[in-house]
Amino acid sequence: MRKRLENIRRGRPVRTLIASVMAVLFAFPIWFMVTSAFKAETEIEAIPMHLIPWQFQGIAQFRLAAEIAPMWTYFLNSWLYALTHVGVTVFFGALAGFGFAKYRFPGRGLLFLAVLSTVMVPFQVLVVPLFIEVKAFGWENSYPGLLIPGMMNAFGVLMMRQYASDLPDELLEAARVDGASEFRIFLQIAFPLLMPALGSLAIIVFIWSWGAFLWPLVIVQDKALNVLSVGLTTYTQPYNGQPMWGAAMAASTVATIPIAALFIFFQRYFVKGLTAGAVKG
Amino acid sequence: MTVSIVRRAGSVRFHYKWWGLIFVLPVVTFFAAFNLFPTLFGLWLSFTDYDLLNPPVWVGLDNFANLLADRLFLQAFGNTLVFVLGATVPVWVLSLLAALVFDQAFRGRDILKAAFFLPVLPPVVVIAVVWRLLLHSNGVLTSLTGGWWGVTEIRWLADATLAPFSMIAVHDWAIIPFFMMIWLAGLAAIPPEFREAAAIDGAGPVRTFWHVDLPQLRSTAVLVAALSSINAFQTFALQYVLPTDPGGPANSTLVLGLLVLKYGFQYFRMGDAAAVSVVMFALIMAVTLIQLWFNRHA
Repeated sequence: MRKRLENIRRGRPVRTLIASVMAVLFAFPIWFMVTSAFKAETEIEAIPMHLIPWQFQGIAQFRLAAEIAPMWTYFLNSWLYALTHVGVTVFFGALAGFGFAKYRFPGRGLLFLAVLSTVMVPFQVLVVPLFIEVKAFGWENSYPGLLIPGMMNAFGVLMMRQYASDLPDELLEAARVDGASEFRIFLQIAFPLLMPALGSLAIIVFIWSWGAFLWPLVIVQDKALNVLSVGLTTYTQPYNGQPMWGAAMAASTVATIPIAALFIFFQRYFVKGLTAGAVKG
Repeated sequence: MTVSIVRRAGSVRFHYKWWGLIFVLPVVTFFAAFNLFPTLFGLWLSFTDYDLLNPPVWVGLDNFANLLADRLFLQAFGNTLVFVLGATVPVWVLSLLAALVFDQAFRGRDILKAAFFLPVLPPVVVIAVVWRLLLHSNGVLTSLTGGWWGVTEIRWLADATLAPFSMIAVHDWAIIPFFMMIWLAGLAAIPPEFREAAAIDGAGPVRTFWHVDLPQLRSTAVLVAALSSINAFQTFALQYVLPTDPGGPANSTLVLGLLVLKYGFQYFRMGDAAAVSVVMFALIMAVTLIQLWFNRHA
């Protein structure tokens, strides 16, 4: 204990130095992205590099990004995509997790195994048959086709079953004796108690769906339906024969802001959610 | 009043287990329609020839047999294995080292850790776009690395030998901070008494790590190895956006995930695309089984 206090007092400059070098190496490209969004096109690839914008552009590059392609439409579609996925996974994940954890109905084991098995299948295996199926529904290049097939994530069910099984049975039984309907027991007792876990789940599902690329790429052709991660690829191509790296960095910054905001405001849930999401495999 | 409570309680007790079924039914129906059915449909497709226009034709194992002689598939298979190797071994070592640095106490730790964690935040497409700019042949990274030696052009993405390694470097950069967090969670779970006991017995930091921390980190070690390889087998967005053209140059960054897309949505050879995805599935299942075996025996 005394030794630890002593270390803190001395501040351990060597460790700080090593950690600083690592932090600079890893943060540099993000710094480069954000600063370049405010640089003039000609100075972005200046050598030696400009650490901060010399000709500060204000929001001009963001304006340009919205002119070259419908960036704000992409942005709204990304929000729509992410929020549908979060909403459906959180509510139905909690409902099904609660159902699997607290009710002994016939076929429970088999149905749970069916849900569990879907976690094992990587999306690349699904993409071709799912595309054919969704096309047969007539949902190709439409919001239902974009949003519906992935909106429920099996990981949510597994995680919520885990947490719901820790809920005290006496509490549910007491409500039952008081005459509460089963759905009310879920909505007014189980759901609020699952809130902290649901927060982590919501964050991890938001991150996954915000960055989703493969499905939006294959199912949508219409620019007006594209999400931001697919729309971003537009900016790597020259526009009227000119490279548009300023606009590309501006759009990339826009695509990073929601996740960065989550990280800043919910740091504890964020890391918890990511680690929980990792263990699912 | 009393009567109604008794009646309701009675009827609820009779029914209530069935409510569980009602609660899971929406989710189960959804997965049946959008996961289980397409999985089985995809497996069936891999035994057919189908171009989306004419009805599928059953060809048995032909698609798989053809893959063995398919130069594009063999190249993608090899590229994927190289990528998986580059995205696992260095990541495992470097993320552990990073965790050991940030597990210690020093001034400014929290802010430096947050800065180190930044690459985890942007979606993979953003990472690809930013690095595409940084890795121009005579761009920023060339000046930062080669500039000292008077080198003005490094063909990071344009050279077929170098491009796969650029993919690995960018991927590792983006994923190392994430795995560092997993290691940190594992390190935090080690009871402090263990290290104190080692310190009392006169063990230095290296011996403490080797004999106390590492054995306690076994399950974390397996997790990091399994996750990073499963993740790497599925790679595709990076190879789609970062290279000069998807999978290029000269197919040097073509991975299995991209080949599924190429066969399915460029050539409309749905049977071949499904067969490639079945191979991917088998590879990932193999990793999962190895992980389970390690968790049980190691």
